[in-house]
Amino acid sequence: MRILTAVLRTIRNSPKLAIGLAILLVMVLVAIFSPLIVKGIGGSTDPLELAAYERWLVPGPDHLLGTDQFGRDVLAMVVSALSVSLQIGAIAGLISTVVGVIVAFVAGYKGGWIDGVLSTFTGILLVIPTFPLLIALSAYAKNVSLFQVGVMISIFSWPFAAKTIRAQVLSLRSRPYVDLARVSKARDLEIIATELLPNLLPFIGVGFASSALGAIFGLVGLEVIGLGPGGVIDLGQIIFNAINTGALTLGAWPMFVVPIVLLTLLFAALNMVNIGLEEVYNPRLRGVAGE
Amino acid sequence: MKSELELRGVEQRFHARGVAAGHITAVDDVSFTLAAEPPQVVSLVGQSGSGKSTIARNVLGLQKPTAGSVLYGGKDIFKLSRSEYDEYRRDVQPVFQDPYAIFNPFYRVDRVLWKAVKKFGLTTSRSKGLQLIEESLRAVRLEPENVLGRYPHQLSGGQRQRIMLARVHMLRPSFIIADEPVSMLDAQVRKHFLDILLDFQREHGMTTLFITHDLSTVYYLGGEVMVITKGKIVERGPVSTVMHEPSHPYTKLLLDSIPQPDPDNRWTNRITVDELEDQEADAKAAAPAPETPII
Repeated sequence: MRILTAVLRTIRNSPKLAIGLAILLVMVLVAIFSPLIVKGIGGSTDPLELAAYERWLVPGPDHLLGTDQFGRDVLAMVVSALSVSLQIGAIAGLISTVVGVIVAFVAGYKGGWIDGVLSTFTGILLVIPTFPLLIALSAYAKNVSLFQVGVMISIFSWPFAAKTIRAQVLSLRSRPYVDLARVSKARDLEIIATELLPNLLPFIGVGFASSALGAIFGLVGLEVIGLGPGGVIDLGQIIFNAINTGALTLGAWPMFVVPIVLLTLLFAALNMVNIGLEEVYNPRLRGVAGE
Repeated sequence: MKSELELRGVEQRFHARGVAAGHITAVDDVSFTLAAEPPQVVSLVGQSGSGKSTIARNVLGLQKPTAGSVLYGGKDIFKLSRSEYDEYRRDVQPVFQDPYAIFNPFYRVDRVLWKAVKKFGLTTSRSKGLQLIEESLRAVRLEPENVLGRYPHQLSGGQRQRIMLARVHMLRPSFIIADEPVSMLDAQVRKHFLDILLDFQREHGMTTLFITHDLSTVYYLGGEVMVITKGKIVERGPVSTVMHEPSHPYTKLLLDSIPQPDPDNRWTNRITVDELEDQEADAKAAAPAPETPII
């Protein structure tokens, strides 16, 4: 309860954070209820079925965003694609944050040669050009599932989170309150969980947001060049279809514009959350005018 | 229960780049014994960088010395059995220098006291625990209702440092390792704090290792004093003797560095530590190396 009011206060004091979170919340809600929305759009027919409607219908009252080359409703496609894109963001963001946090805490708290080995390893992964490798990997792995792509992307995105969090752990572990916990018989794991972790929540949040964003755009990148996982439609694949079929020349502009607008919004929202969190927890970035 | 804390030839090195030897020696062959009986105050005086805080970390088991050993009840503190370790932890407690950084800003200050209650098994009942906490807060002249439920930033430095004393009061250790506890407090709060320490010595039989750079607080506390410079203890003895008849040039320097409260007597003829090097060599030749008496 106390934490909840603190969070609410933080959000109230930072318009950037509030706007970013609001946009995210709407998107997540749309994604969660996407099966229902799709059903609502289609009525008795499944709007995502091939040849559900006429092909290349222009936007109108029946089909707000028109239909695509197979006669599928674009609005329904966009809604379910948003859900897929957010899923990949959540999967990859979660994996890379968890891995990054564990590596960062072990390296930062234990120090010594463990830190040396882990930091060198993260450093190596950090400088590998990710996207060409992802292309190569997905070209080899035919019929990969969404989850597998998420894992593939997070292999390369956890080092970012690990680096930033490790630096924070290094600065926090020599605080006197850690010493006090040690003379109060607290174990290492307990110190990490109760003394360090709460102070690092904003950094972990930022790490999650940026890896999720990286994963979403990584998948869009793969889909746009036609190398995405099979069987699912994400925002990138709609763009791919639009480019491939020359949808713009056929008047089906929503197929191209709407996914891009959604991705831009998502990018803006996550960045606003990042910047907002940083402003809240880094006083040097706060305006000088005060409240 | 009552035992001894002994440092035997403790040496602490730290890796350092850009130093000829590749390391710096923060603590160099330091030996002394703190006895719990009779309770006493032993001050450790030295300038910043002389190694006094490192000694505190060694004694508290936060830093394993490179060589030598810290013995509690005759046993190395890094090789204690489970039950011995529990007893050592309970019996040797710190008061740290910085009253701001000692509290985790995420939690209310009560947590530090509750942790002590739970971790050291003082009591299992909540009401009894609260009673203990309030009693200890009153013992350090804090009103429980003014501090409990507050966050660290809502309290003054003196209040926070006294909460640390309340924690010590609850645990009743035989040894308090106080690492510059008053250096960040103003003069009035400082006296208050020192009085509480002396009370603890008298009423609860706690022996304090008082680490400081400030000779006036040493004088106020009385007892024994050890003077440390560059990781070595160069002089030790009762406060009155050391203050009035310092034998080591560094002690003289420290004493000379206390500004006189006299506007006509300007603070001019100070010697600096660098000049001391030569004198120190002379002194070494002249005076025999100090023994390691049991204080």
